[in-house]
Amino acid sequence: MNGALLAVREVNRTFGSGTAAVHALRDVSFDVEPGTMVALVGRSGSGKTTLLNVIGGLDRPDSGTVVVDGLEVTGLDEDGLSRLRRDKVSYVFQTFGLIPVLSAAENVGVPLRLARAEPGDRERRVALLLDLVGLSDHAQQRPGELSGGQQQRVAIARALAASPRLLIADEPTGQLDAETGLAVMGLLRGVVESEGVTAVVATHDPVMMALADRVIQISDGRVPAC
Amino acid sequence: MSAWPALHWPSIRGRARADAGPLLLVACVVAVVALLAGATPPLIRTTSDEATRDAIRRAADDAAVRVESDWPDDYGPTGGRLRSPRLADDVAGIGSLAKSDLDASLRSALRPPVTTVSSISMAVTDGSVQRRLQLEYLRDDSGGPAVTWISGRAPGPATTDQSVEIPLNGKPWPMHIGLSEADAKALGAKPGDRLPVQDERRTPYDVRVSGIFRPVDPGDPAWRLAPWLLQPAANRDGLGSTRFGGWLSDQSLPDARLAFRPDQLRRTVRFDADPDRLTWKSAQALAEAVAALKGGSAVSAERDDSLKWATQLDSVLRDLRAQIATASAQAAVLLIAVLAGALLVVSLAADLLTRRRTAALTTARQRGASLPGLATELAIESVAVTVPAAALGLALSFALAGGAALTWVLPFVVIALAAGPAFGTLAAARATRDRRAPANRSARRWARRTGQLRRAALDAAVVALAAGALIALRQRGIGSSADGDVGLPAAAPALVALAVALLLVRLMPSATRATLAMALRSRRPLVLFAAARAAATSRVLPAFALITAIALASYAFTLNATTEQGLADGAWQSAGADARLTMGSEAAGATVPVTAKVAAAPGVRNVVAARVVENERFIADSTAIVARLVVVDTASFRRLLAGTPLPGLPDPAGLTTARDGTIPALVRTSDNTLRPGTSFRIPLQTNSAIPLVAVGAAPPVGTGDDVVVVDVAAAKAGGLAFEPDTIWATGPGAAAAIQASGADGRLTTRAGLLDERRTAPLTAGLTRLYLVAAAILLALALLGFALAAAASAPERWETLARLRTLGLRPRDSHRVAAGELLPVLVVAGVCGPALGALLAWLTLGPLALRMLTGQVADPAMVVPWWVLELGTVGALAAVLAAVVATEASVRRRRRLGDVLRAGGG
Ligand SMILES: Nc1ncnc2c1ncn2[C@@H]1O[C@H](COP(=O)(O)OP(=O)(O)O)[C@@H](O)[C@H]1O
Ligand SMILES: [Mg+2]
Repeated sequence: MNGALLAVREVNRTFGSGTAAVHALRDVSFDVEPGTMVALVGRSGSGKTTLLNVIGGLDRPDSGTVVVDGLEVTGLDEDGLSRLRRDKVSYVFQTFGLIPVLSAAENVGVPLRLARAEPGDRERRVALLLDLVGLSDHAQQRPGELSGGQQQRVAIARALAASPRLLIADEPTGQLDAETGLAVMGLLRGVVESEGVTAVVATHDPVMMALADRVIQISDGRVPAC
Repeated sequence: MSAWPALHWPSIRGRARADAGPLLLVACVVAVVALLAGATPPLIRTTSDEATRDAIRRAADDAAVRVESDWPDDYGPTGGRLRSPRLADDVAGIGSLAKSDLDASLRSALRPPVTTVSSISMAVTDGSVQRRLQLEYLRDDSGGPAVTWISGRAPGPATTDQSVEIPLNGKPWPMHIGLSEADAKALGAKPGDRLPVQDERRTPYDVRVSGIFRPVDPGDPAWRLAPWLLQPAANRDGLGSTRFGGWLSDQSLPDARLAFRPDQLRRTVRFDADPDRLTWKSAQALAEAVAALKGGSAVSAERDDSLKWATQLDSVLRDLRAQIATASAQAAVLLIAVLAGALLVVSLAADLLTRRRTAALTTARQRGASLPGLATELAIESVAVTVPAAALGLALSFALAGGAALTWVLPFVVIALAAGPAFGTLAAARATRDRRAPANRSARRWARRTGQLRRAALDAAVVALAAGALIALRQRGIGSSADGDVGLPAAAPALVALAVALLLVRLMPSATRATLAMALRSRRPLVLFAAARAAATSRVLPAFALITAIALASYAFTLNATTEQGLADGAWQSAGADARLTMGSEAAGATVPVTAKVAAAPGVRNVVAARVVENERFIADSTAIVARLVVVDTASFRRLLAGTPLPGLPDPAGLTTARDGTIPALVRTSDNTLRPGTSFRIPLQTNSAIPLVAVGAAPPVGTGDDVVVVDVAAAKAGGLAFEPDTIWATGPGAAAAIQASGADGRLTTRAGLLDERRTAPLTAGLTRLYLVAAAILLALALLGFALAAAASAPERWETLARLRTLGLRPRDSHRVAAGELLPVLVVAGVCGPALGALLAWLTLGPLALRMLTGQVADPAMVVPWWVLELGTVGALAAVLAAVVATEASVRRRRRLGDVLRAGGG
């Protein structure tokens, strides 16, 4: 357990108070080993997004701790969180979240710019990643000119750009048709292997569950102890 | 079933509550604009009335209407002159006759007439000091100013035979006069004394003091026509003489008639215009009536005893009319500018509301709300916001300006009412219409092409309209009527601003793309993100509104600065120096000693004495020219002018020496008949003429364009000898020095003139309007900027949230937010003032600012670049900082997860 890349301990998160209180996460605890791909599965409203946000430092738990790669996320200030997101954790969203006026290559380069990588290194890495996601031919196209699947692949390439330790994906195929979704899932699986990242992917796609190293069920904010 | 679309009141209320802020802003804009647009026309009217009264008051003597009438013959049956005992009544009859020539409206605008009979001024021959006596008879509606006799008695007839006939060249005929206490004391006269007086030809007159009087009311306006009746008037001629007045009674007037030749005794009826009873409208009728009377008397001038009307009132009013026309046209220009700015901002607000509501409106549509229903709901909200705001503005206008004009307010309110519902309904319609891009490639291209064409056609229409208005303005001038009806020309500045701003805005996408390309090469991620956001949000309307409003604000401010400078220059031009003294015609002899005295006084830099002859006649090539002749020591005059902002006096060779009796001259004529090299002459009474030759160009001296300047030495050598009668002095002590010299004459100070013109109702009112319009337009620009920022805020902060998931620090996200808004700010801050200056440059001529600055030519444009740039950029930067700070603080409490989950920052 000492070798876990991600350690979640007794995390609670409640929205609102009194009778209107929603217990989105209740005493959630689990570990994720490095280099594994975990599928987080549960019905809509079960707390997947909340859990991913807490893990990535986009939200703070009411209690409990999250440790990523030896760093206690729950104890970081805003600057620390920014550093965490720049160096260790990256996200893939259901809605892609690309910058519309930038080309695919430029979008992929954004994290590298934030990390102040040398332009030459940046360009090489971008080319590599675009190749990895199979979009070398579309490098100069803008998001609006790409299909949904292609956009999500750009988003994955962007998420990998700064070589994070942990990749968090919240229903990455939610807006894609089944076939495209499958391709994106396969891609994710592939990059976990090739880039050696650890991935936590929220999904309710059975195919994804099949591809994952491990499936964590969440229902009503509870994760069964394992 | 009702024909009305079903309304959903809870949605109406909910929407209004959610968007209370923007709606309140719209209400404020509507109220302020309704106040300004409602109040300006009544203010122009009252200012015009005030300007009319002011002009009449300032014109004083010029605004008086004088009627002269020669005496009828008074030959008796035996060839002598017949005394007419009823002469006083005849004289009063002239007054009544003149009055009967006036129609009712004229009569009500003029004060009751005072009829005077004045003798020539006679020298009092005893004593060493120079004393002069002038006899006066005053008659008004009540008979004449009342007096009480404190010694002696009222002047009576000189003879018991009231209708005596006297021989033509007998002894001086005696006449009885009354003297005021002060005059009697100064003359050392008492009742029964005979005053030793004689005229220029040393003919003696028999003037006897019958009594000493005291006026019942020294403030009676009639006394003002002959103040020396009450007090000896010292130094009227600057030669140290004192004028005394001898009062003629009804009984002694017939004797005065016999004692003087008809041309030595003038009878005049004088009507003073009553400023308090005049309005701008009635003054126009008055000007016409007066002009008609003058015209009529010119025709009948041959009949000796007919009434001859003389007054400058019509020309005073004509000048005023031109001024008022100019001022109201300028006010219209400014008002249209403010309305244009306000409409853009109201549209921006409607656009913002629509963006905030698109989702809700789309849902409403999907749930089955009809478009007419939604439109009605939005219209109800719009009415509830706009109408009370407009009513408030108009009520304030009533309270502050005593009236409210709907001419401008109504169209504005209608557009403001329609904007919100129109935008909203369009958005709802578009959201639910199936508008997927055509699959077919050529169809897509076709759709894009038609879109571009439609936009180009719109742009072309706006540009054509603006060009048309500008041409109309430059050809026809700003508007010929003072009645406030203005047309296309007055809209020219606003239209040109809109057109140029539109063209600039069309260039913006290319500019932001270029910036983005540059930012991509930059090593600073923040620059790239800001440029990317700017490129994503570069929308036409906000930049368009911002540039236009700032341009028009700069325009108004430039006009204000130009007017201010023009007033200062105009005062220099009119006064010719810091102070000018124009000696009375009887005092010209004192000019030289006064000049020396002034020159020796402290705080006086330069003094020069000159002879200024208005309307001297010159002949060049058998063409008659009327110009102002200035005879002056050119060397000192040049020195004096060099120390002023006035144009200098050139120094061509040979200016100071007459060659072969020909006087060299500097010339300036508006029609260019006199040019350097031209020979011309001054015709003399005797068939000869004094030859002159133009050797250089003269600067304008005083107001009026036609000037001939000759050197005093050359003039004397050429036989043109003139006593100087005008003194120009410069230096901080100039005015005081002239005043202290005690010289009699008209003192004009530059500072006084400037103050007088600056505070004149029209000028003061217009300067205030310039500043108010500039302030409102700037406020509108800032408001527009804030609205545009608010409209793009959700998208902006959502993108920033995404960038933060990539590791952007919170404080850097504020910088990116500011950077996103910066390009619009920079474009508006640079192009706005420049466009404002361009507008001023294009329209300065037709605006005829000279009417208000008192200059000969239009003032040179003054662009206060520093104020404009610091003002606009500073204000915009402050708003930018405030906007970003507010947006950030509103979102500070929200966790990134929430932002991304909910979307919309
Ligand atoms: N900001 C919030 N305020 C109130 N309740 C919230 C908020 N965010 C999430 N919730 C609630 O928390 C629960 C878990 O939501 P979420 O994590 O989004 O579930 P999932 O992603 O599995 O669909 C849901 O009941 C949701 O309504
Ligand atoms: Mg979710």
